[in-house]
Amino acid sequence: MSWFGNGMSRKRAGLIGCGSVGLSFLITLIALVGFLLSEESEKGGVSTLYNWVTAGSFSLNMSILVDPLSVFMLLIITGVGFVIHIYSIGYMENDPEFSRFFSYLNFFIFSMSLLVLAADFFFLIVGWAFVGLASYLLIGFWKEKTSAVLAARKAFVMNVIGDVGMVIAAFIIFDHLGTLNFLEVFAAAKSTFRPNDDTILLITMFLLVGAFAKSAQIPLHTWLADAMEGPTPVSALIHAATMVTAGVYLIARCHVLYELAPFTMYLIASVGVVTAIFAGSMAMVQYDIKRVIAYSTMSQLGFMFLAVGVGMYSIAMFHLMTHAFFKALLFLSAGSVIHGLNDEQDIRKMGGLRHSMPVTHVTFLIGSLALAGFPLTSGFFSKEAIIINSYHADMGNIIFWAIAVLGAVMTGFYIFRVYFYVFSGQPQTDVHAHESPLIMIVPLGFLAFLSLTAGFGGGMIDSFLATYFGTNMPHPDDPILETIGLSAGLIGIVGAIGFYMTGKDGLEFAKQMLAPLYDLLFNKYYIDEIYDFLIVKPTRAIGAFLEKRVEKFGVDFAVDQVGVQTREVSRLISFWQSGSVRLYAFNMIVGVVTILMFVVFL
Amino acid sequence: MGHQFVLLISATIFCVGAVGFLIRKNPLVMFMSVELMLNSVNFLLIGYSSFQNSMDGQIFALMIMTVAAAEVVVGLAIILTIFRTRHDMDVDHINTLKG
Amino acid sequence: MFEFDFFELTRATVTTVVGLTAVLASLGVILCSSPIYCALYLIGHMICLALLFLLYNAEFIAAVQIIVYAGAVMILFLFIIALLGGKKEIQEPSTERSIAIVFVATMLGELFLSATVGPTKPVEGEFDIQTVAEVGGSAKAIGLELFSRHLVSFELASALLLVATVGIICLSKFSYIPVRRRMK
Repeated sequence: MSWFGNGMSRKRAGLIGCGSVGLSFLITLIALVGFLLSEESEKGGVSTLYNWVTAGSFSLNMSILVDPLSVFMLLIITGVGFVIHIYSIGYMENDPEFSRFFSYLNFFIFSMSLLVLAADFFFLIVGWAFVGLASYLLIGFWKEKTSAVLAARKAFVMNVIGDVGMVIAAFIIFDHLGTLNFLEVFAAAKSTFRPNDDTILLITMFLLVGAFAKSAQIPLHTWLADAMEGPTPVSALIHAATMVTAGVYLIARCHVLYELAPFTMYLIASVGVVTAIFAGSMAMVQYDIKRVIAYSTMSQLGFMFLAVGVGMYSIAMFHLMTHAFFKALLFLSAGSVIHGLNDEQDIRKMGGLRHSMPVTHVTFLIGSLALAGFPLTSGFFSKEAIIINSYHADMGNIIFWAIAVLGAVMTGFYIFRVYFYVFSGQPQTDVHAHESPLIMIVPLGFLAFLSLTAGFGGGMIDSFLATYFGTNMPHPDDPILETIGLSAGLIGIVGAIGFYMTGKDGLEFAKQMLAPLYDLLFNKYYIDEIYDFLIVKPTRAIGAFLEKRVEKFGVDFAVDQVGVQTREVSRLISFWQSGSVRLYAFNMIVGVVTILMFVVFL
Repeated sequence: MGHQFVLLISATIFCVGAVGFLIRKNPLVMFMSVELMLNSVNFLLIGYSSFQNSMDGQIFALMIMTVAAAEVVVGLAIILTIFRTRHDMDVDHINTLKG
Repeated sequence: MFEFDFFELTRATVTTVVGLTAVLASLGVILCSSPIYCALYLIGHMICLALLFLLYNAEFIAAVQIIVYAGAVMILFLFIIALLGGKKEIQEPSTERSIAIVFVATMLGELFLSATVGPTKPVEGEFDIQTVAEVGGSAKAIGLELFSRHLVSFELASALLLVATVGIICLSKFSYIPVRRRMK
């Protein structure tokens, strides 16, 4: 499609783009059905597609691994991707580079599928890098916007840091176990390593670097907020539903390795839960609607990491799925709002859209309720499961639980703050908002439906994935903690209502009271500035130094001298060719003398 | 002792011819020293043919003389062609092949 | 006391004297200032060489040397010298000459060394194919050798002479463009 460029009509580009993803979704459904119908022991299989490299005893096959986990992820990817493709036809209708967008989106779906279907670490890393590339292309889609291009670069650089970590981990794995294939690695790991062995710690830490970079946990999180410069469907697809969940997928896939390294699991849980409140606190004061949702993503990913960190893998995957639904819903609703207000993203300028955009209002409300964990929504089931298990699981403890509850409170607060700003009150802007076209409404409705109903499939998903994870995740029974967890989200919602219903005076008063804290939160804890000072400036200085000294006097000098010296030597030699017969004869005599010397003395 | 004598004389005449070739400027004299060198080789061949009691040396000397004669003829023609139009017989001045 | 062979003694003496004369004549060739004198010295040198050939049992070759070499070739030389001339050049020592002489002296020394030292020392042996002692270096001997065992080289030599002749004729037919005088 990118070949045709702008030549292709909108309809056809949209059709091809959506059609391919829809086809993938259908195939995935077929695979799912096949899974459900087959016997328990036959689940999963590796099919080798192509033998790529064979070097001695090491052979690299392009093979895909079809097992419950990958099918599960693939369902989410292709399903949500398909929905978002349809939505984008409506969202990007005014954009001149329509086909390019779809080609990039398709490329992204392809690389994400490659990532989850990979049967060994090598293709996992290939898919990982491709996904980073797709993210770069899509964030910087609007090439004219400087901020978008810079954000794309920032995202890519941080992703590359993760890539490096993954590659190092792959090297270590290969060095110790001699193979990169998932099944073989997991089988061998149990017998080769003791728990908390140094090597397994190294492996898991490096894999963790990759996961953190991709899923925007501390300390590699700064790219996610800026990634909102891309179009809204991009944010929905990549930064809510799929790419950022690749980190969680990685850890769930390698759970065998992580179970052998409890220390790393503890680290994962800690980082996850800290990120959750970190991001939640920042989301409470942002004014850009997409940024709030981005920080919300970061926070929810923290929850997911908390879940894997305490060993509750299938619950993490469950939350991943529900999060994909309601986060994509939120993003797409926000996109609908933005589209309706002609690309306005500041919530201070929005208001009273409840009446002018009714369908969007309802879907956003549903999404917010799901995110906050309102009872009976899908988010409620998954989040509440995580919160409970953060205490009751083998590796959970009360601190995790407390921080997780705090995070849930914050979640309710910030999302309803946005809701009240946008949809209630009086319109702050003169732009007359209109409801979005049907092609954007239908996906919203679909996702809303899923957000409400997917929660009841928790047990089913648990048993589906249990064949891969080995155990079932029980739901512990603890009335006190359960009640507190239940009400956490509600407390947040109430707090938001209280705050924003009191009117402007209350807000100003609160802001002045908490001014230093407010500054800290608003400026993202100054982390960007710290990074700039610590890392970017020294790197730039070193680069400049090297360029001036090493490049000019070292490399350039050497290369130039090769040419110059050749010229000089040939100039010297050309003196020999004087055209004088006698000199030539002299040369001959010299030659004869030399040869005679060899003859006589040797 | 005849061996040494032949060798000595032949080597001396050869080296004299070489020196003459390198020293002189006049192309004709240079050519004559080339003839000197050829003659020295002839002498060596003849001498050794008598020592070895074989006719091969003499035949070879005959061939050398033939070649030398042909060479003189052609060489002189060349020298004539080059130096006919100049008025100085200096070999150093024909250096258009310089560089 | 009088056991020495008179014939051999004479022979040796004559050989030595003639050889030295040849060397002196060659020195004269290279050191003379006028080219005519150099040519004359060369003729003398060739006659000495012919005498040496006679002393070493190569009569036919000696005759050929006189007739062809000293007779035809040198006359040709003299004609060309007469035609083109050449000034008298005074030989003065200069750096490049000294270097040349040094190198050639080295060559001479090496040749001497090669004659006396090590594996290059000449081996005295006998090859009895048509030995010289039997038939001498007469024309008959040469003829027998030349036209039987060395026939191919004989034919090639004649071809060479033919080519040389043709070449001369071609060369002499070139029209020449007068070169501007560079130095007078």
